[in-house]
Amino acid sequence: MPQLSLSVNARPVSADVEPRCLLSNLLREHLGLTGTHIGCDTSQCGACVVLVDGKAIKSCTMFAHQAEGCEVTTIEGLAGEGTLHPMQEAFRDHHALQCGFCTPGMIMASVALARDNPALDEAAVCKGLEGNLCRCTGYQNIIRAVLAGAKSMRGKHDV
Amino acid sequence: MEKYGIGQPVRRKEDVRFLTGKGVYIDDISRPNLVHAVILRSPHAHAKILKIDSSEAQTMPGVLAIVTGQDWEREDFAPIPTRSAVKTKISGAPLNQPPRHCLAIERARYVGEPVALIVAESSAQAQDAAESIEVDYEELEPVTDQVKALEPGAPQIWDDIEGNICLDFELGDKQATDKAFAAADHVVSLELRNNRVTAVPIETRGAIAEYDAASDSYLLHNATQNVHANRATFADVLKISPDKLHHVAPDVGGGFGAKNSGYPEPPLLLYAAKKLGRPVKWIADRNESFQGDTHGRDQASKVELALDSEGKFLALRTSTIGNLGAYCFTMGPFTPTAGSARTQGGPYDIPAMFYSAIAAFTNTMPLDPYRGAGRPEASFQIERVVELAARELGIDPVELRARNLMRADTLPRKTPMGLDVDTGDFPQLFERTLKMSDREGYAKRVQESRARGLRRGFAIAPYLECSGGMPKEFAGVTFASDGTITLSVGSQSTGMGHETSLPQILGARLGVDMDKIAYVQGDTDATPLGGGHGGSRGLEMGGSAVMTAANDIIAKARHIAAHMLNSTPDDISFANGAFTDVKTDQNIAMEDVIAASFEQGRLPSDMEPGCLDTGVTYERELITCPNGCHAAEVEVDPETGSINVERYWVVDDFGTIINPLLAEGQVMGGIAQGLGQALMENIVYDEESGQLVTGSLMDYALPRADSMPNMQLAFFEDAPTAKNPLGVKGAGEAGCCGAPPAIVNAVLDALKGDGVTHIEMPLTPEKVWRAIAGGKLSP
Repeated sequence: MPQLSLSVNARPVSADVEPRCLLSNLLREHLGLTGTHIGCDTSQCGACVVLVDGKAIKSCTMFAHQAEGCEVTTIEGLAGEGTLHPMQEAFRDHHALQCGFCTPGMIMASVALARDNPALDEAAVCKGLEGNLCRCTGYQNIIRAVLAGAKSMRGKHDV
Repeated sequence: MEKYGIGQPVRRKEDVRFLTGKGVYIDDISRPNLVHAVILRSPHAHAKILKIDSSEAQTMPGVLAIVTGQDWEREDFAPIPTRSAVKTKISGAPLNQPPRHCLAIERARYVGEPVALIVAESSAQAQDAAESIEVDYEELEPVTDQVKALEPGAPQIWDDIEGNICLDFELGDKQATDKAFAAADHVVSLELRNNRVTAVPIETRGAIAEYDAASDSYLLHNATQNVHANRATFADVLKISPDKLHHVAPDVGGGFGAKNSGYPEPPLLLYAAKKLGRPVKWIADRNESFQGDTHGRDQASKVELALDSEGKFLALRTSTIGNLGAYCFTMGPFTPTAGSARTQGGPYDIPAMFYSAIAAFTNTMPLDPYRGAGRPEASFQIERVVELAARELGIDPVELRARNLMRADTLPRKTPMGLDVDTGDFPQLFERTLKMSDREGYAKRVQESRARGLRRGFAIAPYLECSGGMPKEFAGVTFASDGTITLSVGSQSTGMGHETSLPQILGARLGVDMDKIAYVQGDTDATPLGGGHGGSRGLEMGGSAVMTAANDIIAKARHIAAHMLNSTPDDISFANGAFTDVKTDQNIAMEDVIAASFEQGRLPSDMEPGCLDTGVTYERELITCPNGCHAAEVEVDPETGSINVERYWVVDDFGTIINPLLAEGQVMGGIAQGLGQALMENIVYDEESGQLVTGSLMDYALPRADSMPNMQLAFFEDAPTAKNPLGVKGAGEAGCCGAPPAIVNAVLDALKGDGVTHIEMPLTPEKVWRAIAGGKLSP
């Protein structure tokens, strides 16, 4: 099986995986990073969103080998151990999660959204989260959390 | 203490785990020597299985076992039992319950029915093997629609069940109802469908089965809402004693009813685990979920309302044909019968009611409770017929509703459907909702919409529903000498936040820091019984059990406190976490009493160290009646038929609110699922072939962030129920009861100038556009 090298959560990683292995499988099954979730098989749900070179990517839409040499950040690597990223804090403060299954993808997508849109408003959040499904919250608290999280990120110059 | 008290918006304890990717859902669990299972499912809606040839698949790399219906039959396992609360037909004869085996034997009856189990070293190998199994089918004519299934000459799904009927059902006073109709000034009648939908939790179902030969016992980790009931079901199937099966639910990624049932996959996995001596894992993919998760609703009803000349409601008559799918699933027969009957008529004062139903078998995935299970259907029926009555009688729909709500001073009362409505104030909630919705500004908003070429509509939808699920619940509390308190409950959160709200109740009642309370749920070894989740019972049952346990602990601790204060228990009061001698005013904190409870020297002679450990079973006598009022304002684009739900208001009476943050979350999530059903969600089977048309998230539309209106929420807390010690009524399913009628009626209000009186859910742009265009454009 071909050898693959990339950086995951700021650590160098190499793996031998089949060409058909998806990035989501590499993260979950080979690296044990089970925070990235699989909720569908048609790239609709967004539970598997991670950052690849800073861009929000549904990790089920990409072969692991396409991430060769890339920097991948998953939910586990978003904040230091024992701390929460401002977007994670905002989700907690605004009760923007219930079962928590869509949450990692939702947060990774929101972080990228906030970094890419300095002037984020409600409409931009709705459009930006078009590819992330939540079945529990009805989205209102997610939208509030993303706006608050983005504001907090600007305050901490994480944009 | 008040920081965490009852009624405080405490942030969730479980959140840090979920926010950092440390939640442990079923697919996050692995085991040494794990092998993987795939289910081969029927591609036909109705077919004889003539032959299954798995000889090639058996030889493929990694393949360990292939199990077919014939193998299953040879093992002589039992069919999966139904646990429907309604068990008999009107005649008193038992309902027709065809055998539901874990694998189809000789005949497949819906697309997606399990036909074979394949186990291999890897999931991909199992999938490859499944694809090379040759099944020789002889296709039979299917019927997917329940009304057509009852027609003479319809395909017969079960050879020994005539006419595809599972059971018939009736409730109410037929004679009084018929009499009221005969004497009425107006009769308004509406035929409508409650569309078939499915829960779509973002985590699909899955399980890991293990077998220990030394103890001849099983361990099942399962993404389920109900470990105890399903343990009994799976034990029945495998013909083992339930105590040989340890059933655990890890973090569960949403359920909404679809993870409540006794599914065929877990017994298959348990069987394979024993046969192979290795742990076996199965995770459904999304396509499998659409085929093989239970569906909900799917009722065809006729609703008739009798009114007098003043618009007073005199009687309600509803007849329903419910689609059950190909089998009785776990509680399937209950939903279109008693489940839909109890809350007929909603919060209105209707002197006579009669409900009748037939539950029919079809060649579709079986139905089981989905968030609300009959109450959303009942709410939709009454609100749609009332809206139509207002239109036909030329009365303002707001005024017609106001005129007919049950008045607070007539409570408590029993409705003609036998529902005990104890507390509430429907007119006050109605008025409050109207006030929130800025009726004064409405005419201006209509003008503004019109200026943009849009139609604006408004509707208000009061609802009355009820709680449900198992009538018993267990809570256990154990104390450790290091100060840790462990709360174990038989109720279960699949996202609702019980890990926070239940310790919040215990902490508040005992006056201890809730952060010291560890929480255990979803484990058959942790509690002797449990009702899991379903029927908005989390706080009503789980919370009440916790409150009862807390009261027991306080009673025992009072004795210890009296001993420590050289007093008598009768002279000891308890408040704010401290016991006080009312005579001397000396006091001692609960935490000190807990510390003393480990030392024999500090205890009364008749108590022993560890004496505060408590386990109680709470049993409800009467189900509760959550109620409230929704209102929606929508804009419809007549050029495209698209709908924008622009504003939304709700006032809910859930009795006492334990944690408003979590209660609001339940309401908003319920509204989203109700909006989904009203506007976009629909399970579709092709009538001719019986194929599932909506088998993926590309075909089945779910609400997204931009589908939702801004929701303004309020709670009415002045009418707690006395039916349980917390005064709670339940919050989980209310949103699904109020949202579909509020949204559909608001759309129809927007289209009243176009002469549109009814559109079946979901109100897709195409249907709305065709309705506006009128009959000439209909297909």
